[in-house]
Formats: sequence, C-alpha cells, structure tokens
Amino acid sequence: MNPSYPVVVMEVPGSLNNLEGQAFFQELQPLLETDRPRIVLDCSQLQHVDSAGIEILLHCIEEAMKRDGDVKLAAVLPAPVAILELMRVDRLFEIFDTVEEATRSFHAVAQPETPQTLPWYSADYRFGEAKAS
Amino acid sequence: MGLGAVVVLTVERETGVYAGKDGQQKPLVVQPLGCVDVMGRPMVERTIDHLRDAGVGKVTLLTSKDIVRNCPSIANRLDQVKVKFVDDPGSAVNEVLNRYAEEGIEHAFVLAENVYAETDLLDFVYFHREAKKGITRAFDHEGPLDLWVVDCDRYSRFDLEKMGASDGDAASYFIAGYVRRLLHPGDLRAIIADSLGGVCAMRPSGQEVRPGIWVDEGAEIDRRARIVAPAYIGCNSKVREDALVTRCSSVERDCCIDFGTIVEDSSILANTRVGIWLDVRHAVASGNKLVSLKHDVLLEIADPNVMRFNSMLAKEEGKDRSESRERVVQPVVSKIKPETAPETWQLGANLIQG
Repeated sequence: MNPSYPVVVMEVPGSLNNLEGQAFFQELQPLLETDRPRIVLDCSQLQHVDSAGIEILLHCIEEAMKRDGDVKLAAVLPAPVAILELMRVDRLFEIFDTVEEATRSFHAVAQPETPQTLPWYSADYRFGEAKAS
Repeated sequence: MGLGAVVVLTVERETGVYAGKDGQQKPLVVQPLGCVDVMGRPMVERTIDHLRDAGVGKVTLLTSKDIVRNCPSIANRLDQVKVKFVDDPGSAVNEVLNRYAEEGIEHAFVLAENVYAETDLLDFVYFHREAKKGITRAFDHEGPLDLWVVDCDRYSRFDLEKMGASDGDAASYFIAGYVRRLLHPGDLRAIIADSLGGVCAMRPSGQEVRPGIWVDEGAEIDRRARIVAPAYIGCNSKVREDALVTRCSSVERDCCIDFGTIVEDSSILANTRVGIWLDVRHAVASGNKLVSLKHDVLLEIADPNVMRFNSMLAKEEGKDRSESRERVVQPVVSKIKPETAPETWQLGANLIQG
C-alpha cells in the first residue's frame, strides 16, 4: 500500500445501532468511495453497538477492501470489544489502543518477508544451503 | 452433642451484583450467586448437604420472600430445611439460636451462603469446644470467612455485622482445605473450573458419559456438536450441530447452544439461549446478559437473536413448547441403548415387501 495516500480519522458516535449506524455510514460513504481509502475509526466514544452496528462496520470494511483500502479501529472500549469478540468480528479488524498507533500503522513500510538470495547461476551460490532453506 | 445450623441468605448479602471498572452496578442475576445453579445444583443446597453429612440435625435458612420468589427452585429443593423469611437477619439469627438452646442444641454453625468451604466440620466443632470461647470464626489464607460456630446458650447475642468488623472475643479456626467466596461471577467460573478439573470435591450432577464429560437428564447433544472434556451439560439443555463446548465450560439446565457457537472457558447459566455462530469465551452468561471476564465488563444484549432467556422462545412458539416437552424427556445416556437382536421376519408384518 502506498504510504502517500492520506489517512482519514473518523469518530464513531456513542451508539451504533440501526438508525445512528445508517447516518454514520452515509457520512463515511464518500470517503470509502475514494481510491484506496485508509480510514481509522476512533471508537473512544462508542459505548453501545448492536448487530446492526456490527453489520455497518462490516459493510465499511467490505467497501474499503473492494478499493484496496482498509478500515482500522482505535481506542475501542472494553464493552464494544467484548461484543466484537462475541460476534466473531474482532479478527476481521486491526484494533489499536490509540488513534495515533492506528494512523502510524498505515505508514509503516512492510519489510521483505524472505531475504534476498543470490541467483542460482552465481559463482557463490551453494546448492546444499538453498535446498535446506 | 446436638448440632444446628443457621444459613443466612439475604438481599443485603446479594452476591450477584457485579461492579465493573467504571463503578457500574448491574446484576448479572437477580438472586444471590449461592442460589444460582452450579453444575446442576445451587451452592446453598450443596452447603446444606455438607452440614447434614456432618451430623447437623436442624438447619434454618434465613431469607427474604423476594429471593425465594426469584429462585423458586430453592424452596422446592430444601424440603427438610426450615425456611424463615426475615427483614433483619442479625436479630433473626439470635432468635434461632435461642430456640436451638431451648431445644437442647449446644452448638450451631452460622454461615452465609456466599462461602463454599471443604473442611471437616466436626473438627471445627471440636476445636471450638477446646477453645472454650462462645464463638469461633473460620479463616483461610485470604482472611475471615462468614462461617462461625457458636454456643447456642452462651452466645445468644450474635451480631452478624459486628462479627465482620471485630472478633475480639472469638477464637479463630484456620481452614487449610478448599475455600471459595462467591462474590463475583468470576468466582462462579473459578469454582466450576476447579470442580471440573478435580481441584475441589464438588461434583456435577448427572452422569459422566465419557471421562470428564458430565451430562444431566434430558440433555440433547447433536451428533455434529463437539464437547471437549472437562465439561458439563445440564438438564434439558440442547447443544446444536457444529457447536463446541470446551475448556471447563458448563451449560446449566434448560439452555440452548445454537448452531456453530463456541463456548470456551465459560458458564452459561440456567434458561439461557445462545444464538448461532457466536464466540462465548471467558464469560458467564445469563439470559441476555454476559459478563466478559477477560474485559471485566457486563454486556446487556438487546438483540434476542443473539442471546435471550430460553422462556422467551417458549412464549413465542406457544404450542411448540408443549410439543417439544413431550419430545425431549429421555436422557442422552438412556438413548445409547445396547443393540438388541432384530425381531424375526414375519410375512405381512413388515411394511417393505418384495
């Protein structure tokens, strides 16, 4: 993911039910329709969330992923976390303690998972080691 | 040596109240935790059995009408116990002790329902007699317990509240065995895990159908459900297909664990329906309330599809309930019958004929 795309932080209302969730989603929708949306949802005010609210969060991440973006949650209080866990949704989101950490996570450049190796035709290439690794 | 006992079960000592981090005071259950079914039986019933086993002849339960109204099963089960409804347990204890003294009972146990202690109660009485004090209070390594032995004739002015503050003239009896105070839903989880893990002597009701798996009468476990030992499934409970009950979990009577739900290191209290595809972990659930022990928070679930009291379903379904009652009465254990030899073939008696 290109780190030059902006990260948008949005505050989630205190209650995320069907009514307030729809209003929240309408507010968020233009941001989700941009190219590679990178959104941090500040859940520090979120006290109550029900199954309709969970559905809206899932809809948000679905829309973001369609456009190669992501939605991350920050500062989630224990009660909403417990609800997310109960509904098996917690593992779909990256959850951070603070908004700063969540924002920073978008800018972090991933390290290459496999170390660079010599090409097989190089003089220093050793076949035994390559096989073992 | 006559022995009596006074078990105090009052609203003031309600232990079902849960206090969260932010100071919220919400009850998980309306009755004290001692009245809540723990693996088939309430703790207070187990305590009274323990007293009976120790040779206690007379047991009086001091309680309020509200508590009995909230847990009618208690009144039905304690048929050999004298239940006395009181407003002020302190003075009521004295009345009972006086009456015991008149009846010739020398010593009496006075205990609150929120204490579960595995100790030799007779040894406790002998210690009390040796100490030659009017009252002896039990202690464990965490401090004083709401469990006393008193001389009925000498200690007729027993003050329940004062005893908690100062025990100047009381002897102290140390209990080295298993002790658990039931003050928080987490304590309920701990005692269930200890019981299923064999740490304490308390055993679940029902039958051990496989090592570590206890199933009570009328429980229905789908073939595709998985129960990992140790676990307890209570009376008339249903565990639907693809559900998983694991890690010292207990499902009390009249519960339903619906399709694909995982119950891990959790206790589902009686009459609770847990909806489909949920993860109940490190929690105690009752009706539409759930205490997450991991996050130290109480959740009240508004959506009845997620969690609710099982009776709600019965009211909605109306007729279906009576039908299902007729259908589900056989214990699981009895369903596993040894295969009998097939009946002899009779021409014309079999529906499928060539």
